Amino acid sequence: MNRLFYSNIKQVKRLVVMTLITLLAVNTTLQAQELSAEQIIAKANLAAYYAGDDGSAQARMIIVDENGQKQMRQFIILRQDKKDLGDQNMLVFFSRPSNVKDTVFRVEKHTEQDDNRWLYLPALDLVKRISAGDKRTSFVGSHFFYEDVSGRNPNEDSFSLLSEDDNSYTIKAVPKNKNSVEFNYYIINISKSNFLPTESTYFDAQAKPVRKMTVLKVKNITGNATVMKSRITDLTNNSYTEMQFRKVKYDIGLPNNIFSERSMRTPPKAWLK
Amino acid sequence: MNYQRVLNFAIAKPKAIYSLVLFITLLSLAMIPMIEIDTDPENMLSKDAPARVFHNQIKTDFLMRDMIIVGLVSESNIFTPDTLSTIEQLTNDVLQLDGVIKQDLLSLNVVDNITQLTDENGQNHGIVFEYLMKNAPTTTQGSAAIKHAVERLPMLNNTLVSGDDKAIAIYVPIISKDQSYVIAEEIRAISKNYINQKKTHLAFHITGLPVAEDQFGYEMFVQMGVAAPLAGLAIFVLLWYFFRNIPLIIAPMVVAMATVLIIMGSLIGLGFTVHIMSSMIAIFLMPIAVVDSVHILSEFADRYKAGDKASDTVKQVMGHLYTPMLFTSITSAVGFYSLMLTPIPPVKVFGAFIGTGILLAFVLTITYIPAYIARMKPETLANLQRALQRMQQKGRLANSLQQLGIFSIKRGKVILLAFIALFALSIEGITRIEINDNPVNWFKADHEIRISDKALNQHFAGTYDAWLVFSNNGVDETAAISHFQQTLSAIKASVTKSAVIKLIENWQQSQTENTAQASPFFTQNLLISLDDLRFEAPDSEQAWLEQLYNISEQALADKQTFTDPAILTWLANLQNALVENGDVGKVNSLVDIVRTVNRELNSGDNKDFAVPDTSNGVAQTLLQFQSSHRPQDLWHFVSPDYQKTLLWLQMTSGDNQHMTKVVNWVENYIRSNPPPANIQHQWAGKSYLNVVWQDAMVSGMIDSLLSSFIVVFLMMMLLFRSIKYGVLAMLPLTFTITMIYGLIGWFGKAYDMPIAVLSALTLGLSIDFAIHFIQRVRELENEYQSLTRALSAMFQEPSRAISRNAIVIAIGFTPLLLSPLMPYITVGFFLASIMIMSALVTLVLLPALLTLLNSTKKTA
Repeated sequence: MNRLFYSNIKQVKRLVVMTLITLLAVNTTLQAQELSAEQIIAKANLAAYYAGDDGSAQARMIIVDENGQKQMRQFIILRQDKKDLGDQNMLVFFSRPSNVKDTVFRVEKHTEQDDNRWLYLPALDLVKRISAGDKRTSFVGSHFFYEDVSGRNPNEDSFSLLSEDDNSYTIKAVPKNKNSVEFNYYIINISKSNFLPTESTYFDAQAKPVRKMTVLKVKNITGNATVMKSRITDLTNNSYTEMQFRKVKYDIGLPNNIFSERSMRTPPKAWLK
Repeated sequence: MNYQRVLNFAIAKPKAIYSLVLFITLLSLAMIPMIEIDTDPENMLSKDAPARVFHNQIKTDFLMRDMIIVGLVSESNIFTPDTLSTIEQLTNDVLQLDGVIKQDLLSLNVVDNITQLTDENGQNHGIVFEYLMKNAPTTTQGSAAIKHAVERLPMLNNTLVSGDDKAIAIYVPIISKDQSYVIAEEIRAISKNYINQKKTHLAFHITGLPVAEDQFGYEMFVQMGVAAPLAGLAIFVLLWYFFRNIPLIIAPMVVAMATVLIIMGSLIGLGFTVHIMSSMIAIFLMPIAVVDSVHILSEFADRYKAGDKASDTVKQVMGHLYTPMLFTSITSAVGFYSLMLTPIPPVKVFGAFIGTGILLAFVLTITYIPAYIARMKPETLANLQRALQRMQQKGRLANSLQQLGIFSIKRGKVILLAFIALFALSIEGITRIEINDNPVNWFKADHEIRISDKALNQHFAGTYDAWLVFSNNGVDETAAISHFQQTLSAIKASVTKSAVIKLIENWQQSQTENTAQASPFFTQNLLISLDDLRFEAPDSEQAWLEQLYNISEQALADKQTFTDPAILTWLANLQNALVENGDVGKVNSLVDIVRTVNRELNSGDNKDFAVPDTSNGVAQTLLQFQSSHRPQDLWHFVSPDYQKTLLWLQMTSGDNQHMTKVVNWVENYIRSNPPPANIQHQWAGKSYLNVVWQDAMVSGMIDSLLSSFIVVFLMMMLLFRSIKYGVLAMLPLTFTITMIYGLIGWFGKAYDMPIAVLSALTLGLSIDFAIHFIQRVRELENEYQSLTRALSAMFQEPSRAISRNAIVIAIGFTPLLLSPLMPYITVGFFLASIMIMSALVTLVLLPALLTLLNSTKKTA
């Protein structure tokens, strides 16, 4: 009861904020030219990875290889922001395929230092800390990288605004440390209406496009423009992964203590509905 | 058949003949620029040969690529900052090349490592996934760390780095095998930037079957441009030596050139690719095409007297030679046409076009040559006369032939005994023949490719691949399907229910449409569709949809044979046994991936280098493997539905015998150690395909040889209207073939592709001599009414014609000996031997036998 009341208050608050944002948006459109590439990216980062203070979603990935063979993965993501554009906690609970059911990833995302990552494998009954040399490893065999799921740190790239039209900005991002990535640069389109990236194309050393992220469906969920379906394609062989979200919820009031090792072995069922 | 009229026409209207030949030749010449070279040994099997279809299916299913293998071999240790940085730079440059499949390239700086995360106290904190060598180390310790890491990764150890630490490899996958020569050349060029005089301790090598094959094609092309004209030149010089009369010998050269150009032009024009076999057509046809002309010229030169009318003499000569020439041409053609009975497409094309070429050469010879001779100027003919007299005076050939004649007639019994002994010895030799082939051995031992091949296979587990593919036998779905349908039937009608029924109907329809291949009902696509329905369906329907989903998922899980620990353990045992047996350098498989990741997920110690206890454990281990930079690597070893798995065998030789041995060993192993589930196995990979087509070649050649033997035998009896002479005519070639193959057996030369083809050639060519010999003997016997006199007359002009022919063809093939490609050398050497041997056998055995038979007839 109490929680319900609390969330009602929060909704009212959100409504007020939304109205203000809409008013502001009219303003920003007028002043849009004045936004720097870094500012646009910051807004995009906020829109894509920090909607609400926390959230949950069911995700489904369909991985399609170059022969057209499909594989499916399903998982639930719980996220909690420590601070907008700052550190975040994440839990990823796998439900399908059934032979990986209850596999859990836990992430403490840090913007100023390396992330902490843990893994729980039920069949081997082990929790392990994972350390990775970089964040551009595949997320469970899909075309999404770990970084595509958790969000690439804007400090890693230098941005320049290439062009803009009535609907979008086109920004070129060049990695500061080329050694940490497999691409040479990428070009990202960001919608002016909701600041969500709509497309990112990654180019190799010969300026050939090799990888592409496309947003296929956006839906407004409690005031947050949310990517519901997106696809990453390997342009060298046209294999791809589609990621769809369902039951997206924001500001659900996830308690701090569920982002712990305990939750990995004993999933917080109430939050996974 | 009225040849007389044709002959008269040719002599009366030589220009009509000339223009017709010229026109057809030019037309064919116009086709030659459309040439398409094909060097793929895979084409030794027809496109729909089951082994080839399976091989290509596996290549697609498991995304197996054609690989170029680049190797650096050091005199000392390769784990130094310097060498590792060379490999890093070389790899990065190779990655930029067009036609290279980047994501599948294997090299130290693009592959992943999985290790324990330990702090300075040795305390374990977790696991690390990272590039094995993102950048080459700058210190010796750094290099040693890489060495240590590789040793712990069974997939890389002895594949990317040799066991003796002296060699390092880059596996370069390419989009198409016909680009391998170009890409290999580019890599060779790049390597010069890194491996130069300063780094003398490093040797650069490049190998892999695609490179060998494509390079072979390139050199074959060069060979065709060099060897065929050289053969032409050799024949020209030889004819000049015999006849000393340029205008006269131009005629046979024209016949040879026209034949070769028309045949090659029409082969290309008809859209056939020029394969290694067909590239030899020119070289084969050239000598064969001049044979008949040499007969005509020899006899013309013998008969022509100063003051004679050339056209009359020609008519006489032609009247005389027409029948034996027709028969020798048909029999030679039959020998080659019989190659069309083999199941090997390039051999069929080879046989068909040479057979036709022989008939074409015959037609050209009987029209063009008389027309040409009849038009020769009197001075030229006088010259010819002089040359001929000189030839008869000096005649070292003539003298030795006479002596040979005397010997053959007098020593009949000794000769017969000697031949019987030789025959027995040859049969023994044939039983010793080793059937073996290896496309890399098509290059000479000092060829760059052979040297690289040897160097890399000395260090690594092997650069030759075979794939052993296991699959479950299509698990029975009927129970699960009826469970699914029963569950569904209990549900009351709704939009969702109709949608599920539609799914079933669609599947049933696809079943009836595609009866050839039963498609399973339970698939990932079904799961995705059911999941979509759940997403849209109202809450009230969630429960039963979930139930259907679970039935389907369970049915799918039941088919995932290759996550079953019992099966994986069985595969691990097979793999160990294979390597222990010694014929296989290394096996790479799903089991290695599972065991390595499992070891690192657990303690990192060897005791955990094992398959997890449960299927779920295996699946979760593999989910971790896929969280790497190269998740796609997994799908080279198991299909995404886990119903098929591939074992990649590395072997140190591409010998078919080696492969056959491994195949047989695996059969035995599986028979005595049956797998714990119903799985079947099948082979693929280039090394295996080579075995398949070689088997087809051997049995095909036996069929072809037997059938042409019978056809030729029947033709001989028809020609001579006598069983006795029919049998006699077959004896020289029977002896020659037996002796040639006996020799091959005794010398231990492997029975390979070129050797196999020779049988048909021997048959087609050596029968010629017998026909001419017997035909003339019988004529002379009639004339003189005495076999003895006939035989001694035989050792005058007729035997010279036979010998000249044998020598012309034998020498005509010798330019092949200069080739850097072994099949050409083999063919050149054996053809020359066959010609000489069959001429000798004819000249020795036939007179001896005829004399013996004659004396038995008299005594009887």
